[in-house]
Amino acid sequence: MERVYLASDYQPVLIQFFVAMAFVIIVMVVTHLIISTRKRVRTLKKEENFECGIDIQGNARFPFSIKYFLIAILFVLFDVEVIFFYPWAVNFKDADWSAFLNMLLFMGIFIFGFFYIYKKGAFDWNKEQE
Amino acid sequence: MEYTILLQELKNKFEDKILSVDEAADIFTLTVSSEAIKEIVSYLKEQQSFIYLTDLCGIHYPEQEKELGVIYHLHNLVANKRIRLKTFVSKAHPQIDSIVSLFSGANWMERETFDFYGIDFVGHPNLIRILNVEYMDYHPMRKEYPLEDATRLDKDDRFFGR
Amino acid sequence: MSDKDKYTVVEAPEGYSGSGFFATTLDKAVGLARKNSMWPLPFATSCCGIEFMATMGANYDLGRFGAERLSFSPRQADLLMVMGTIAKKMAPVVQQIYEQMAEPRWVIAVGACASSGGIFDTYSVLQGIDKVVPVDVYVPGCPPRPEQIIDGFMKIQELVGNEPLRRRYSPEYKAMLESYGIKTDSYDK
Repeated sequence: MERVYLASDYQPVLIQFFVAMAFVIIVMVVTHLIISTRKRVRTLKKEENFECGIDIQGNARFPFSIKYFLIAILFVLFDVEVIFFYPWAVNFKDADWSAFLNMLLFMGIFIFGFFYIYKKGAFDWNKEQE
Repeated sequence: MEYTILLQELKNKFEDKILSVDEAADIFTLTVSSEAIKEIVSYLKEQQSFIYLTDLCGIHYPEQEKELGVIYHLHNLVANKRIRLKTFVSKAHPQIDSIVSLFSGANWMERETFDFYGIDFVGHPNLIRILNVEYMDYHPMRKEYPLEDATRLDKDDRFFGR
Repeated sequence: MSDKDKYTVVEAPEGYSGSGFFATTLDKAVGLARKNSMWPLPFATSCCGIEFMATMGANYDLGRFGAERLSFSPRQADLLMVMGTIAKKMAPVVQQIYEQMAEPRWVIAVGACASSGGIFDTYSVLQGIDKVVPVDVYVPGCPPRPEQIIDGFMKIQELVGNEPLRRRYSPEYKAMLESYGIKTDSYDK
């Protein structure tokens, strides 16, 4: 049975969105107004990073291997692809051959990309980075 | 290893540098002149296997002519024997060779001796105060200060039995 | 069996109450909340620190005053508890830790060494941390018993409950900090 979704049915979503935005904006603005910026104590020593009472030694940032970042980014990409699979999978039985071939083409593009990054060595976990 | 053999060999090598010998608290002690200390320590380390520096400290005898002293304790790990070397320098020229090139452990110990007695170790890579604050301008363990700080205003004599 | 006689309930601050509500001034309410949830920074250096460990244990339990969660970072602490001998080399460290705490902040000097240098009247020991930070409560003792530390903590709670809300912006507060050598508005070190 078909159900027609009117635009007015989405009003609660709109209200929720505005409430969330309002909370964020009000909290940020009101705390900024409440704070008395001119009279409070602000010094360099007070606002520097905490180093157990002595001067800061060295940098907290250090370089780390890029393979962690690569894996995370590739996960995001392929996860978005999987998201597109879901509506296709739900309606797979009622769809015809054209749907299947379209999805095959879609997936083929991704597989080509996957093959590319595999060949480039993004999945070589133990390889030494030059 | 008997100390008499060691003493004989030391006397043969450094006749005039060794000033006196005694044995206090079971540790064989030599008082040596301060110019030869590095030679003697190097000889003991390389020739006689005194390869472990147990301690390096300072002392101040105000009634002697050469007031400030540096005491070295060396240990022969092979024969399990200890030896103590004492050298004295005057307060006017408190220079002694540093033995950091022979024993790396002497680095901080010499800094501490400098910090508390003011003895200048020639050849030390970084001779600055180690335990006291950097801006302190005297050497606390020298016996030339009154016991209490006379400039304190908050100590009431009535409570301290004076 | 009536255990009610053994325990006393904390008094409510002055306010107007009716059925189902209690109205008081904001600073009293905030003071009540703050004083019963103080997060101490235990700057424990020596023997008094061990007594503090005993105070935090189950027998004397400082946690029932709300101080269960100790913070070793000044950013999240209300109360700097200096317990133990502070050497002159350590003095700028104590001052920097105090500066890095966020207002409102209080300091308790536990023990004789933190209050006045204790028995160590010597070239290397700071004769009392009130030479470098403003102290609110001094707890004498060498070391003070846990009951004394708790007594000092309760006096801090009294101070916290009565603290005016805008104190940190007042010129007297800034003048007090300046008198300890703590700069209040410059960005030089």
